[in-house]
Amino acid sequence: MRYVEHVRYVGLSLGHGANREAEHWIHTLGLPAGVEACTHIARTPYPHVVVSLALPDGVDVALPETAEDLSKPAAEAAADHAARRGGRAFLFAGVDDLTGVLTVRDLLAKSAISRVKVLGGSDAEPEREVLTRDFVRPEWTDGTLTLTTSAAPGGRLAPFEFPNPTPCCGGAH
Amino acid sequence: MGHGHHHHDLGGQPADVPEALDLSIPDSELSPADVSRRGFLRGAGLLGAGAAASVLATPGVAHAHDGPEDHPSGGDHHSKGGFLWLAGDHHIHTQYSSDAMYRVFDQARHGRAYGLDWMVITDHGSVAHAKIGVEKVNPDIVSTREELKDLLLFQGLEWNIPAAEHATVFVHPGRNEVAVLKEFENAYDGTVKNAGANTPENEALAVAGIQFLGEQVRKRRVEGALFLANHPARRGIDSPHEIRAWRDADPSVAVGFEGAPGHQAAGLPGGNAGGRGFYEGSPSAASFPGYPLESYRTWGGFDWMTATVGGLWDSLLAEGKAWWISANSDSHSNYLDTAQRGPDSNFDLNGKYNDPVYGPVLAKAGDYWPGQYSRTHVGATSFAYRAVMDGLRAGRVWVDHGGLINGLDVRARVAGDRRPGSGTPLGGVLRVHKGTKVELTIDIDLATRPNWAEFVPVLARVDVIAGSVTGPATDRDTFQAPNTKVVKSFEVDSSTGKASFTYSFGRVDEPFYVRVRGTDGKRSAPGYMGVAFDPAGPAMDVVGDADPWLDLWFYGNPIWVLPS
Repeated sequence: MRYVEHVRYVGLSLGHGANREAEHWIHTLGLPAGVEACTHIARTPYPHVVVSLALPDGVDVALPETAEDLSKPAAEAAADHAARRGGRAFLFAGVDDLTGVLTVRDLLAKSAISRVKVLGGSDAEPEREVLTRDFVRPEWTDGTLTLTTSAAPGGRLAPFEFPNPTPCCGGAH
Repeated sequence: MGHGHHHHDLGGQPADVPEALDLSIPDSELSPADVSRRGFLRGAGLLGAGAAASVLATPGVAHAHDGPEDHPSGGDHHSKGGFLWLAGDHHIHTQYSSDAMYRVFDQARHGRAYGLDWMVITDHGSVAHAKIGVEKVNPDIVSTREELKDLLLFQGLEWNIPAAEHATVFVHPGRNEVAVLKEFENAYDGTVKNAGANTPENEALAVAGIQFLGEQVRKRRVEGALFLANHPARRGIDSPHEIRAWRDADPSVAVGFEGAPGHQAAGLPGGNAGGRGFYEGSPSAASFPGYPLESYRTWGGFDWMTATVGGLWDSLLAEGKAWWISANSDSHSNYLDTAQRGPDSNFDLNGKYNDPVYGPVLAKAGDYWPGQYSRTHVGATSFAYRAVMDGLRAGRVWVDHGGLINGLDVRARVAGDRRPGSGTPLGGVLRVHKGTKVELTIDIDLATRPNWAEFVPVLARVDVIAGSVTGPATDRDTFQAPNTKVVKSFEVDSSTGKASFTYSFGRVDEPFYVRVRGTDGKRSAPGYMGVAFDPAGPAMDVVGDADPWLDLWFYGNPIWVLPS
């Protein structure tokens, strides 16, 4: 029950447009181990990415200020994370061990992920292999940190979120 | 009913007048010549449902037409159902795009060799393109037209739609083709105007851009202008209300979207091994929140908006909105080609890359040449630029992958009427008295020659999909049509090179539409809306394992049946 007590939830944002930029920003903050970090999509006052942090007791870091106009969605993101109803986790217990090919059973055992789901269907079987592509981004839904997967080559599963989507034609956006 | 069979030759008509096609202009405001042309088009069924805000408002009766059979072209097209079916591709890049490399002539010559009759050059809108490329590409297009006289080569551009995805925009060739495209790009391109963000202002700019194109046609600066949205579901940023807004901005210009995106080689195992169509994204801050994860992948190579029976496309058709699908290459650099960008290029300075040179084999490229895999077949009345644009606007269009079939003639007709040329073709509206018995006839020329992967595709099944027409949607963001489903599947078993099916709707009392789809049967799954809607539809493509030649489909555009 790591999260029940002694965890402080903070929402912060620089108004990034993309998850990747927001994740990079958080990585530059040099957060200590044990911090769980999620991205959230906020629609107001304009579409942007918010990051929520779960800071264990004793973690004392100076965090960047969030602009006034983004503070409300940032607070909402922190609340969603605290309630385990929202947030796409990119820093979480065990994430560094989720590389290569793992069985669903191992993936659950090695990390904070508590459920592996197949898109459009039920939970993945424990022996099914998951091609992680070294990029695993589960989401908090209904109190569980859930990884949504879909079919991958060789009868395996893979996280639905693909690590490096081909940039749009022209790289205009 | 009981309208006669028309024998007209559009080529022998007076000069075409675009006003006749613009049904937002009432007859009373047209010149007598335009009224006459509009009447002719209506009578011939050539106006189709296109160019009208809703088929429910389209007057007249759509009927068949026999077009001229003599033409100078030499493509894979053939005459069927009285039309000359011209294969084409409206989404092709050249060295005037910052992420592409081929000459206009390279693309045109290959597309021609792969059997295309018409092509649109669509380099990306950008600061460099608006300033330099849009002008510099024109002489290349003009000289290619001279050299390849049996190819119709349009100039267009790939518009960065403000607040949304990309779209093909193109115009009829003429003295103002460059001027209109350049003005349009400078005033309305999302990149040039820094208007990519998802704001109401930028959405309004997109609508204004489409209206601008319509105005250029009405002012007779160009003889025609068309818009088709490209890879609409790729990043989830074309919301349903934006698509409706584009259509309603000017239905004589904004006529459809890519039913299947290009980049069909992008999922080849051993090749690029990514997402088919480069569809490999996830929701973002810019995407429409209602779209499910499933929408970010192709299904049997087709965009989720089109592939889903009862999905977004059907929700437009159920409203009575004429909205058509196409299938294109989006060719930038082609799988297994051996070329690379010319050395010492300076794209920003010159607006283009230097001519390509010989290079290593492109084993990871995601594209096919125009015509090599994807084709958009337009039922035209002659081999002419205007005829292609008219056919696209009328929705007399079907698309295929991998040469799955050779020809398709679909007709909604009063039961039993088999007179030559009778029945309402793709894109049309059949108006009948309530209680009339209506049936659908499907005549297919099966593939008899190898495709460009050197095998003869075998059509396994044809599905008839139908749905109620329920009028304007109260929620402009709806993307479901709960009354649309597969109503009949025909197994194909033919050794004659042809397959013909008839499906009876019985006596009809309520408005509906119908469309057809066919498959090689190699890969299928229940549709996104469930088994009751689509028991064996296209399956979601697997990132890293999508061989497009082993999963072939064709799709026809809809026909409406309106009893009154």
